[in-house]
Amino acid sequence: MAWLIVAGAPARDAFASRGRSVGVAERAEVDVAMERYAAGDDAAYAKVYDTLAPRLFGYLVRQTRETARAEDILQQTLLQIHRARSSFIPGAEVMPWAFAIARRLVVDSVRRGRRELLSSDGEPDPGVSKDAGADEIAQARQLARRLELALSKLPPAQRVAFELVKNEGLSMAEAAQVLGTTVAAVKLRAHRAYEALRHALGEGIDGVEGGR
Amino acid sequence: MSTPQSQVSPSAELRARVLAAARAEPVAPRAVGALRSALAITGGVAVSAAILMSIGGPGGYGRPSGYYVTLAVLWLGVGVAGAWAGVVRGRSMLGRAVSLRALVVVLVPVALVLTALVAGLAVPPYVKATGMHEHLRCVMFTVLMAAGPLAALLFVRRGSDPVAPRITGAALGTVAGAIGGLGIELRCSHAGLFHVFVGHIVPVVALALFGALVAGRVVAVRAAALAPRWRG
Repeated sequence: MAWLIVAGAPARDAFASRGRSVGVAERAEVDVAMERYAAGDDAAYAKVYDTLAPRLFGYLVRQTRETARAEDILQQTLLQIHRARSSFIPGAEVMPWAFAIARRLVVDSVRRGRRELLSSDGEPDPGVSKDAGADEIAQARQLARRLELALSKLPPAQRVAFELVKNEGLSMAEAAQVLGTTVAAVKLRAHRAYEALRHALGEGIDGVEGGR
Repeated sequence: MSTPQSQVSPSAELRARVLAAARAEPVAPRAVGALRSALAITGGVAVSAAILMSIGGPGGYGRPSGYYVTLAVLWLGVGVAGAWAGVVRGRSMLGRAVSLRALVVVLVPVALVLTALVAGLAVPPYVKATGMHEHLRCVMFTVLMAAGPLAALLFVRRGSDPVAPRITGAALGTVAGAIGGLGIELRCSHAGLFHVFVGHIVPVVALALFGALVAGRVVAVRAAALAPRWRG
């Protein structure tokens, strides 16, 4: 829940803006790096790793609630991307593809029965700035817990659509690609998730809805 | 369980491990990959052609040439359209829409039946008596002639689909079936609609099912077995 509240800003503002804050430059950077790697520049793989790994790792930690497992799946994801070097399509977008691989490996990991998703007994981290006051921190932690609980109660399809769009910053079209469904279906799922969260959290997440 | 959620970056040790694993398992650049794919596809189709030649090559067997040329051209068109929509990924690494690939699986066999109807309309009716032996012969040769293209397509798309591998596998099977079906269509001496359906369309559907079955292991993105030294 590090995205919930940042630097003392109201929760709803941070929550609303997180999904749109994914830099266009970051996407372009990884696309260019992968293109160079596919074209034969071996050194470009480090750049692919450096651009993708933090984004994917955050997603994987949130999905698995376990750092070691998230690292394992991240390693697998990046090696899959490495193995696709010879078949990388010129001009293809790397980010949705990488998320789709990561998501598939998470699903496979769960199916293998190692552990259940979203069964965290850890304390959600509200991501509050060190400068924030004690009241603000407590309030943020409480809201983070409520949000996490509300998210965990959503149907998986809605939760995943919501997280990909709002949390990971994918566009509706990209999330649709990752999930293998239509843009309309993703919009509907994300909207329903938003409505359910709004109902559960009251006005705390107003301004979240929307998306590309 | 430990969940240091405030940690937003993977460890430096993981970075070193992934980069070392990638160096230890070199993958050829795209130009080499494209060449390998082209060779695989060419080889797969060549196997089909070799099988066709081994049974005597294309021949009308007394069928009106208008019928069998029309059928072959339409069949080829359906196969090419199916390959464009169901096999070629376009500009996305995740391929075309899943619904489009599913449509390929459903519509290509239907279109192939329609081509037989259209070809029948284009020339005077030509129906030769057929029996189970003729049906089975065409089923067998359709499957044989599709085997090479299917193996090639599975090779090209191996480990590439993290979203809907079974649908992709079914589309690959359908397209391979259409290629195999075209091969035997150039040789088959029977033009009856029932024979076209049983001898030429049913095996395409069977190949789609086979493609869906094997795709879970071949086409799907799966966690790779890592050498012990790369494990954390």
